[in-house]
Amino acid sequence: MMKQNLSPSEFKRDIQIYFTIIAMTGLILGIHHLHLGTWGIALIVLIAVSEATILGYFFMHLMTKKKTIHLVLLLTLVVFLTLLFWPAWDVAYSPRTPSEFTTY
Amino acid sequence: MLRKIHDSDLVPYKVIPREDTGLYNAKFGIWLFLASEIMLFGSLFSAYILLRVGSFSWPVQSEYLNVPIGALNSVILLSSSIFFIRAWVALKADDIVKYKKFMWLVIIFAILFLCFKGVEYYQHFSHHEFPKTSVFLALYFLLTGLHALHIIGGIAVNIYYAGPGMYLRAENKQWFINRVEVAGLYWHFVDVVWIFLFSTLYLF
Repeated sequence: MMKQNLSPSEFKRDIQIYFTIIAMTGLILGIHHLHLGTWGIALIVLIAVSEATILGYFFMHLMTKKKTIHLVLLLTLVVFLTLLFWPAWDVAYSPRTPSEFTTY
Repeated sequence: MLRKIHDSDLVPYKVIPREDTGLYNAKFGIWLFLASEIMLFGSLFSAYILLRVGSFSWPVQSEYLNVPIGALNSVILLSSSIFFIRAWVALKADDIVKYKKFMWLVIIFAILFLCFKGVEYYQHFSHHEFPKTSVFLALYFLLTGLHALHIIGGIAVNIYYAGPGMYLRAENKQWFINRVEVAGLYWHFVDVVWIFLFSTLYLF
């Protein structure tokens, strides 16, 4: 059975996590304004992934969940990454003329 | 002597965890649902990445979109997530007044999020920027529109659990607590999706 209440330390931890994620969002905005190019994009993605991980780990209680959930998520991640990089590989290595590129 | 058949006899593990998964049915179900949601949003993110990589040129997205409103919406949605946790904790502690207070805060913040999104959409439409205008705007409206639909769905569920759905608490308290927990998992997931939408659409 679930425990019936959060301890004050857990409540304090949740508040700290909340402000950490807010601060990370601020950091993302700061990096965006620095115009770091490709490095900036990489940093923004890295911080966004960290934010999502922290949120999932603590707010969605992934740190205490059963193996079943981790397996479901792992399988989802593997399928998603496969589907993402398979066509990306094709896009990157197929010879194309400029007219074949998508126009925005 | 015949025993009266209760609903709980027909649907096992709706309150207690199953032995094989270690989870009660609803929690296992919501995680499977969230996995399918990851695939849904993931496929659209993949489309965005592939179209962008495959394009000859691409607009500076932050010049098209309202970054301050996007950032404000991030704070609003993150705040609603922490309110949801407070509501769930209050419910477990039998503090119904606090539970309702925090649930309505979640709902109000979600509506606030939609209002700001509406302002953004209005700005785009008034500048004659529609999904048909460009590939980027088509992806922007698709991704944020789908996310907004998820927010609307979440609001409906949260209103139900803050109001009429509370009848269940009188029948089976633990069952109701579990339902709210499951709704909370969905809500946090919607928050996670927004983190990626804000980072990839507004700032690149």
